[in-house]
Amino acid sequence: MMPVGFFFRRVEDLAVILRSKRNEILTAAVLMAPFIVVYGVLFIYPTIKMVQISFTNAPLIGEGSFVGIENFVRLWNTRLFHTAVWDTFYFVILSVLPSAVFGLIIALGVNRLKGWAQSVVLACFFLPYILPVSVVYRIWSWMFDKDFGIAQYVIAPFNGGEHLSIFRTIPVFMPAVAFVTVWWLMGFNVLLFIAGLRNINKEIYEAAALDGAGRWTQFSKITWPLVWPVTVLVLTIQLILQLKIFDQVYLFANGGRTDATIVMVQYIYKVAFQQNHGGLGAAASLVLFLIIVIFSVLQFQVLRTGSKDN
Amino acid sequence: MKRILKIALAATALLAVAGATSATFAKDTIVWWDFLGGGDGVRMKALIDQFNKEHADSVEIQATTLDWGTPFYTKVQTSAAVGQGPDMMTYHESRIPLGISTGSLSPITPEELKASGIQASDFEPANWKAAESADGTQYAVPLDIHSIILYYNKTLLKQAGLLGDDGKPKGLDGVANWDAALAKLTANGVVGLSVPTADGATMWRIFYTLLNQQDGVFLNKDNKFLDGDNLDKATTALTEMQKWVKSGWTPSQTEYPASIALFTSGKAAMHINGVWEVPTMVDLQKKGQLFDWGAIQIPTFYAHPATWADSHSFAIPNRQGNPVDPAKRKLVLDTIHWFNQHSLSWAGGGHIPAFKPVRDSEDFKNLKPNSDYAGLAATAVFDPVSTLAGVASPVYDAAGNYIMPAMNGDMAPADAASQMRDDLQGQVK
Repeated sequence: MMPVGFFFRRVEDLAVILRSKRNEILTAAVLMAPFIVVYGVLFIYPTIKMVQISFTNAPLIGEGSFVGIENFVRLWNTRLFHTAVWDTFYFVILSVLPSAVFGLIIALGVNRLKGWAQSVVLACFFLPYILPVSVVYRIWSWMFDKDFGIAQYVIAPFNGGEHLSIFRTIPVFMPAVAFVTVWWLMGFNVLLFIAGLRNINKEIYEAAALDGAGRWTQFSKITWPLVWPVTVLVLTIQLILQLKIFDQVYLFANGGRTDATIVMVQYIYKVAFQQNHGGLGAAASLVLFLIIVIFSVLQFQVLRTGSKDN
Repeated sequence: MKRILKIALAATALLAVAGATSATFAKDTIVWWDFLGGGDGVRMKALIDQFNKEHADSVEIQATTLDWGTPFYTKVQTSAAVGQGPDMMTYHESRIPLGISTGSLSPITPEELKASGIQASDFEPANWKAAESADGTQYAVPLDIHSIILYYNKTLLKQAGLLGDDGKPKGLDGVANWDAALAKLTANGVVGLSVPTADGATMWRIFYTLLNQQDGVFLNKDNKFLDGDNLDKATTALTEMQKWVKSGWTPSQTEYPASIALFTSGKAAMHINGVWEVPTMVDLQKKGQLFDWGAIQIPTFYAHPATWADSHSFAIPNRQGNPVDPAKRKLVLDTIHWFNQHSLSWAGGGHIPAFKPVRDSEDFKNLKPNSDYAGLAATAVFDPVSTLAGVASPVYDAAGNYIMPAMNGDMAPADAASQMRDDLQGQVK
C-alpha cells in the first residue's frame, strides 16, 4: 500500500513542475527577447526598409517619394554600374579559387610538420589575417611604391627595366589587389583546411600504404574526397566575402581612376554616401544582395552534388 | 524571475537618475567636432587647451576629432537629422553647398555675427562669400585659407641661376620661363619638380589653378561644366601639366608620400603641394635633416595670378528638433571669434589665417616661410559653388578619373577635358 503522504507529495510535485514549466516559458521568452529585439531592429527592419527605399528617390537621410522601378532601370542603363558588376566578378574569379588552392597546399605542407615547428609556421601564415585592412594597405602600397617600393626590383625586369605603378596601371590593378587579398586572408583558409585534415583518421593512410597506394593516389583517393566538405565551406565563405569586396579596392584606387576599377559596394558607397542618392544606393544594394544569395546557394548546391559523386 | 525583473527596474531607474543629474552643468560646455587628424590637429588641440585654460570658470570645449572627408560629413548629416551632434564643428568651405542641400548647416544671421564682433571686412571677399549660399545667407565663418604652394630647394635653384638675391626664385613666371627652368633643373639625377602625380586631389588643385590663371570657368552660372572656350582653356592646362611628365621634368604616377620624399631627399628641385606640408619641412629642418628651403605662391603661368584654395571654417549644425539654443549660439560665435583672433598659432600648421588683422600683424610677417606665400590669399580662387564640387566630391573623383591619367600621359588632354565635362554634366540634376 502506498502511504497517503507519498501521494500528496506527488501532487505537490506535479504542481511545482507545472508552475515551473510556465516559469520556464516565461524565462525563455525573457532571455530570448534581447536577441529577437536586437535581430529585428538591426537586421529585419533595416532589410525591409532597404527594399522599400529602393523604390523611392530618397536622399541618404530622410523620406523620398515612390518612383516604382525607376532606380533599377537607371542601374540597368548606367555604364558605371555595369563596370562595377563586372569588376566584382572579375575580382571574385581572381581571389576565391587561388585563396582556396594555396590554402590547401599550405595546409598540406604545414600538416606534415610536427610540434613547435608546425605552430611557428602556422602562425607565420596566419599572421597577416589578424592585420586590419588599413595596415595591409600601407604595407603593400609601400612595397609596390613606384619610386621607392622594394617590389620594383622584381617588377622592373618584366617591364623593360622601367618601374611600374601597380595601382595606377588599370590592367594590373585587380590582379594586384587580388594578390594582396589572397596574401591577407589565406591564413584563415589554412586553418580550416588543417582542421579538416586532422579529422582524417591516420589508419586510413596506413591501410592504403599497405595496399601499395602512392602519395598521389593517397591524396586523390583519400585526402581530397575527405577534405571536400571543408573545401565547399571555404569556397562559399570566400565567395560571399569577395562579392562584398570594398576596402582594399577603395584604398588602393583612392585618388586614381576609381571609375575604371569600381566594385559594387564601392558604387553603393559612391551614390548613397557621396552623391546623396539613398534610393539608388538601396536599389544597388538589393541587386548585390540578390546576386550574393543566388550565387552562394548555387555554388553550395553544385559543390555539394559534386561531393556525392565522390 | 521576479528578482531579475526587480533588478532590471532598479537599474533603469538608476540610469534615469544618473542621466538627469549629469544634465545639470556647473559651467557651459561646447561640444566640438573636427576632422583635423593630421599634423595641424596637434596645433588645434593646443589652441583648444589654451581656450579652456583662459575660460576655466566659464566655458569648456569638449572636442572630438573624427575621420576626414566623406565619413565626417556623413556623420554630421545623420546626427543633425536626428537632432544629435555637436554645438559647433569645422567645415570645408568647398563643402558648404552640399551641406546646405542636405540640411546639415544652420544659417547664421547678420545680427548674431555682429553681436559676437564678427565682420565680413576682416576677411577676403572671396573667402567670406564661399561661406554663403547663393542667396547670400551666411552658413560659416572662415578660419584659414589653405592652398597649394611651390616648395623649392635653395641650393639647387642657386646652382641653376634661378635664385634671386632675396632668396626667392626668379624667372619662373610665364609658361616658357617655367618650362625652361624645369629643363635646366632636370640634370644629374635630379628632376625639376615633384608632385603627387598619382593623386587626383592634387591634380585638381593644380589644374584649377592653371584654368583660373587663364580666366577659365569650370562651372558657369547656367550649371554648364567647361562651357564654350573654357574647354580649350582646360585642354591648355592639361597639355601643360602633361608636358612636365612627358619631358621627364616630373616623375609620373608618384604617390603622395613618395613625392614629398623626392623633394626632401634632394632628388627634386621643386615640389608643389598643400601648405599643410610646411610643418613637415619645418620639423625636418629643425632636426637638421633638410637643406635650405623656401616656399612661394604658385608662379603665374598665364594672364594673371590665381591659386586654388579652400578654407577650414566653423559652422553650427542644423540639429532637427533639438536646435542649438540662442544662448549657446552666442557662446559658439564668441568662441569662433576667439579662435580667429588667436589663429597665429594655427598658421604654424602652414595655413594662412583668414582673419586679416592676424595676417597683417608683425608676428605673422615674421613667420617664415608662411608670410612669403600669404599673398596668394588676395587672388585665391575657391572651388565651384555646386553640390558636385568640393572636398571628396564628384569633381575630385573626376580629377582622378581624367586629369590624373591626362597628366601622366595615359589620356590625350583634349579627350580628358571633354570626357570630364560630359561625366560631370551627366550628374547635374
